[in-house]
Amino acid sequence: MDGVELRLPPDVAYVGLARLVVTVAARSAGLPDERIEDLKIAVSEAVANAIKSHVRHAVSAPIRLIFGTSNPGFFAVSVTDAGSGFDPTPPEDSAARNWAAESGLGVTLIRGMADAVDFCRDGGMVVQMRFSLTQNGIDARPPCAT
Amino acid sequence: MELSLNHRKEGDRTVLEVGGEVDVYTAPKLREKLVELVGEGNYQIVVDMTKVEFLDSTGLGVLVGGLKRVRSHDGSLSLVCNQERILKIFRITGLTKVFPIHDTLDEALQDTE
Repeated sequence: MDGVELRLPPDVAYVGLARLVVTVAARSAGLPDERIEDLKIAVSEAVANAIKSHVRHAVSAPIRLIFGTSNPGFFAVSVTDAGSGFDPTPPEDSAARNWAAESGLGVTLIRGMADAVDFCRDGGMVVQMRFSLTQNGIDARPPCAT
Repeated sequence: MELSLNHRKEGDRTVLEVGGEVDVYTAPKLREKLVELVGEGNYQIVVDMTKVEFLDSTGLGVLVGGLKRVRSHDGSLSLVCNQERILKIFRITGLTKVFPIHDTLDEALQDTE
């Protein structure tokens, strides 16, 4: 995917900046206002997971975001970390969730907010998310598929 | 936008007004405030999220942590939220079944559950 690349130091203080920059790019690409909030959440969660992974494993390398229009009609964002990544828990039944756990909600939110999401391992973890630029996106092929 | 936290007593309730962005960077401040309030004996807490601009999973985790803390003292933690974008986050994560969520502060204060 062609797009703008952003490298962020592995510090959670930069999550807000990533959110801001990607939001501006998505607006100019034509993502509808009602989807901007979904994008903000999904990007924040993916970036936060990547940064936390680097911090946990003492990786000082930056995390990498690439974002822009992909295929006709989609705004895509990929977040790549160089650490060992995180375990993308499968979609879960919220009724059966163990509420004693205060973490683990991030991946649930990414899946809930993006139109398509794929978790790949390519060195580190790559989270690829797509958001339809039209209201009724129908192309839901996994973005990692080649 | 920075996180803002202000609390006051309303009868037997403690209202914590949260404003701005609650994310992985700012949520620890919210956690500290909730721990402090519970430590001071405030077990009936209403978190007013009317002015929250952004909430992520870390913020949700902190609220769940606060709920567990007050429940260990037979207390309660309810939320005031009328913004669809924030409510959606609670719905997707199933947390609408965990927290009492009210449209207005008055409604939350009148709830005697």
